[in-house]
Amino acid sequence: MKLSATTFEKIGDFKSVIESMSIEAQSPTELLSALDRIGIESYVTEEGHLMIRYWQIGAEDFVPPEQASIIRTSRHLTDQGDNMDWLSKNLQTIREEYGGKWVAVYNERIVASSSTLPDLMNQIEEYDRPLITLIPAEPVIWTFTYAL
Amino acid sequence: MPSKNFERSVKFYEGKTQNGTSVWLPLVDVSLITPSNSRISLPLLFDTGASVTTLRADLYPLLGLRSWNEGLRVQTDTGGGQVDAYQYTATIEVFGKSIQCPIQLLQTLPLHPLFCGLLGRDTVFNEFGFGFWESTHELFVTEIP
Repeated sequence: MKLSATTFEKIGDFKSVIESMSIEAQSPTELLSALDRIGIESYVTEEGHLMIRYWQIGAEDFVPPEQASIIRTSRHLTDQGDNMDWLSKNLQTIREEYGGKWVAVYNERIVASSSTLPDLMNQIEEYDRPLITLIPAEPVIWTFTYAL
Repeated sequence: MPSKNFERSVKFYEGKTQNGTSVWLPLVDVSLITPSNSRISLPLLFDTGASVTTLRADLYPLLGLRSWNEGLRVQTDTGGGQVDAYQYTATIEVFGKSIQCPIQLLQTLPLHPLFCGLLGRDTVFNEFGFGFWESTHELFVTEIP
């Protein structure tokens, strides 16, 4: 893949920002919080490297593996739960507006809806890991016991 | 007795039965990798009674299928008796691991906005260890079983 000059400039700027923040941060947690604050999505690998999503600019040996496990656990759970929490808490309101439709939830808001799943998928190509579900038109009541 | 350590926990969500009582559902946010390499987040019910990870049949477009019943036909026991399911292979990301595993599509799973299917045992559970406390609605997970 050939990158444009503009893209190179942006990557250069981005690396400068990360390097600057790395020097200023007092701890790995502080740096991760700073990245969150400015909207840069990051994660820590099992080996303890800091990775930035999309650009994949990494800082090897960012933290030792044992600390990586702790950081990954706390951050991953936060990421995982947000959309589900939001959906669960707002289900009644969502059902009133989107009953009978497929919806995509991203960053605790509905970013797309459609009466068909293929159409919804076409609308959400730009999002990484949007939560997808079908909102029933009727009130949701637990009626079954299941074992496969 | 051995001592076990867990790095993760699974959150329970409240559902209501017809008579208004609460049921608590351990729901796991699973990423399905689609054939076009995008990642879709699907809430699945953690189900030790499910032998295979199972999705509602109407999710077949996420697997790149033209219909839900193109795959290997298998008979599956459900609470309502034995029914046909169709089996495929897909990659999911769950609890920080990427796992290629069998996925079944089933028409009789209920429509519920908080989960799209069941996270079942085949291949997936081998990768983890689980600790379950029903009374406190706590499910703990270790990546190092």
